[in-house]
Amino acid sequence: MITRRTLLTASLLPFLATAVPAYAAEFRLREAPMLAERVTKGTLPPLNARLPKSMLIVSPIAGKELGIYGGEMRTLAVRARDLRYLSANGYTRLLGYNENLELVPDLIESLETDGINFTFTLRDGHRWSNGEPFTTEDFRYWWEDVANNKELAPAGPPDIMLVDGKAPRVAFIDERRVRFSWEKPNPRLLPALAAPRPLQIYAPSAYLKKFHAKYTDRKALDAQAARAKLRSWATLHNRLDDPFEQGNRDMPTLGPWVNTTEQPATRFIFERNPYYHRVDWSGQQLPYIDKLVIDLSAAGLFAAKANAGDVDLLSRGLSMSDVPVLKQGEKDHGYKTLLWPEARGSAYALYPNLTTNDPEWRTLNRDVRFRRALSLGIDRRIVNNSLLFGLGIESNNTVLPESALYQERFRTLYAQHNVAEANRLLDEIGLTRRDSLGYRLLPDGRTAEIIVEVDGEAADIVDALQLIAEFWTDIGIKLFVKPQERTILRQRAYAGQTIMVAAAGLDNAIPTAEMPPNELAPIRQDHYSWPKWGQFVETQGKSGERPDIPEALDLVRLYREWAATANGEEQKRIWMRMLSIYVEQQFTIGTVTGQLQPIVVARAMKNVPERAIFSWEPTSLMGIYRLDQFFYGR
Amino acid sequence: MILFLLRRFVTMALTLLAISALVFIVIKLPPGDYLSNQIEELRAQGDAAAAAKAEFLRHQYGLDLPIWQQYLVWVGAMPGPNGWAGLLQGDWGWSFEYQRPVNEVVNRALALTILVNIVVVIFVHIVSIPIALYSATRQYSLGDTLVTLFGYLGLATPNFLLALVLLYYLNRWFGISIGGLMDPRFTDASMSMEKMSSIMSHLIVPVVVIGLSGTAAMIRRMRANLLDELQKPYTVTARAKSVPPMRALIKYPFRMALNPFVADIGNLLPHLVSGSVLVSLVLSLPTVGPILLQALKMQDQFLAGFILMFVAVLTVVGMLISDLLLAALDPRIRIGGQA
Repeated sequence: MITRRTLLTASLLPFLATAVPAYAAEFRLREAPMLAERVTKGTLPPLNARLPKSMLIVSPIAGKELGIYGGEMRTLAVRARDLRYLSANGYTRLLGYNENLELVPDLIESLETDGINFTFTLRDGHRWSNGEPFTTEDFRYWWEDVANNKELAPAGPPDIMLVDGKAPRVAFIDERRVRFSWEKPNPRLLPALAAPRPLQIYAPSAYLKKFHAKYTDRKALDAQAARAKLRSWATLHNRLDDPFEQGNRDMPTLGPWVNTTEQPATRFIFERNPYYHRVDWSGQQLPYIDKLVIDLSAAGLFAAKANAGDVDLLSRGLSMSDVPVLKQGEKDHGYKTLLWPEARGSAYALYPNLTTNDPEWRTLNRDVRFRRALSLGIDRRIVNNSLLFGLGIESNNTVLPESALYQERFRTLYAQHNVAEANRLLDEIGLTRRDSLGYRLLPDGRTAEIIVEVDGEAADIVDALQLIAEFWTDIGIKLFVKPQERTILRQRAYAGQTIMVAAAGLDNAIPTAEMPPNELAPIRQDHYSWPKWGQFVETQGKSGERPDIPEALDLVRLYREWAATANGEEQKRIWMRMLSIYVEQQFTIGTVTGQLQPIVVARAMKNVPERAIFSWEPTSLMGIYRLDQFFYGR
Repeated sequence: MILFLLRRFVTMALTLLAISALVFIVIKLPPGDYLSNQIEELRAQGDAAAAAKAEFLRHQYGLDLPIWQQYLVWVGAMPGPNGWAGLLQGDWGWSFEYQRPVNEVVNRALALTILVNIVVVIFVHIVSIPIALYSATRQYSLGDTLVTLFGYLGLATPNFLLALVLLYYLNRWFGISIGGLMDPRFTDASMSMEKMSSIMSHLIVPVVVIGLSGTAAMIRRMRANLLDELQKPYTVTARAKSVPPMRALIKYPFRMALNPFVADIGNLLPHLVSGSVLVSLVLSLPTVGPILLQALKMQDQFLAGFILMFVAVLTVVGMLISDLLLAALDPRIRIGGQA
């Protein structure tokens, strides 16, 4: 079977070698000034010897111009662990999303796939940041010596590498080509490789072999581990093999900047990777900016520090409430505050627990009329105006208009404020008796008071709930807000003790059909609408409860169908069907979406989009907007 | 004397044992542990894939043992997954948050913490003693009333608020960078005059903020003590014998009024390490305070446990020192209680 994704070659390479566009006359490899001295001294090979023969030449797209080498970018983090967000922002993947959320090759030169067999071809002469070659040996090392090593990975290879529990056949064809073959399609593989926290299927073998018992004396390694107060060589290896956390200064990387600071520290400096594989269309090696400087600081000071002009780029840690402080300092301190919409399905969503322990509420929560009535009872316009300054979008908890899968119906179905219809539905269910205050009574005589539990740190959701409580008195439903500590909230939900939970909506509301629809189906226990069904699916029936309403079963079946096909059209059809069921059934009740993330950027910084979508997945924070192309204008 | 010391050491050991048990129980009271917290946090950020790795660590650090066993392993009264390695053996445990042994995490912060707090103590004494002397000798004068007013203001202002306000204006007016103990560019530089002066200028805010309420409290106490002593016959006698006023003040009543401060050393010592958590947090100072708070929030149990135990040890030792000092300074006080 050959699909449209058969050959994902480097579409960003139109003018390498022979095919040369008009402006190619200007293309000439130019050394970054910061590295030039080392090259003249002979401590670093010249640029053409460092770059892969088939380097990735980024093509000009709207909003991106040619940059100028140099400068440092200052930013903040709360603690050293947050360096991991640099991995998301740096966004160097085997293949990654571009700004249109299409998967394109990045580290690899090309990918050949029919959905079952995946052949990755690496770039000729590609090197790690310490100059060692990046070859299929690095894939072999990860697969054979790490993922399948009982001591390093007691649980075996990562779940995504297994299809129906079966590991792939892996063929290391030559230095540049590796093939993974399953018996059935594995559509989860590519999105996982492009994720903000990617599935790592390679590792710097030359470096890590020094810490692997197969290649180095086990006794010496254990002694080394003991000196670091670690249990065994395996713990030491796992601690050093930490590509995402960026904490290990000695481990080579393929990303744009390399950590040069030994832990522990309160200031981390990352310098440009001399072997980075991306080059702009005039022949300058990316990144443009020489250094990243990350200072650790209390989260409470982020806005004040930005206001004082102490940062050049900052997104995480700022929120809507910081905007007045940020705006105030703009003029004096040479930065600007961008407001990017977040890609959440809903800023504040309600999750009626269909698997709650209370039998009365379980019956009601499972009645689709009840869920629809609750949704119709919310005046989303007022929520929008009072909490998002009217800038939000009144919507169900579904995909955003920016997504290719969006339909107007998904946004509006049962999402209008209609008290009469809501009351009619509730009467129809039989909740006709009322108490002296006008609240409806449950069949067993209790007042229909829904206890909505919420993470106590999410103050904005608590505010939204207070508004919703007002609206619901009109339909005779009482709402009691119960803020909880997050861990406790989860445990109560898993145990079926919650009746309803309020939290943010879909994490990824700008999906493409290639991304797994795992938030829409009852397959995970961390979805508050159906924790016990999720448990059942996650544990293959060992705990939890079997999903037993037809629409939920449909969602599970559709998800399985998605995971078993490599056909893009088919996947799109499945997505649409699932989105449709999700809003028709009101499994979650969305309110408004489109809350904004403030981003502070130095005014001189170029190639930063004025407005773009900000999310963890799929944009990888600011990753897909390519920090390596940001630069300081003159 | 030796018997007294021995008795004190035994009670100290028992006290510490009780404290260690309490500390451990309190840290373990909230549901879950560090790893489950971390998994939650990762999930909240949509980062579920990381959860698997965290799960793998639970067994390795013995977090799957029953609580009493975890406690005994931590104290060093039972061999854990690492063999005998507890507080008694001088092994302070492992910090999950920082991924390194506790002593490495704490050592770095400790020096700066002690620096900040010693400067604060000096500031408090230098400012408060002269003011107290002044206001006690001129009770109900205009100066006394003003000092009292400011003293109450100092006591009543929430110091984190003051910290933020000072930070903002010092940055506005003098360009001192916000937060931290030095300008970020000196963080990894070796010690130099410039670095020293940067540290000094960054010490202003924390010292003033942390010291303000302490100063106010100290003025009030000193003033009250002195007023008591000034009424006493020996002061009257000294004056009657026309001892010069300054000498009559410093030589007799002032020295008597110092007793409560010596008794206070027991509190001062632990305060050097654990004081000013809130302010340190707001000012983003690299001290022990924020580390402790974070460790408690994340249930980084060995790190939090160690810091709390360390403070407890300092308190107990401080008490002993102040008892001994008092006995040495004031002949009216006898050790041991046998009359």
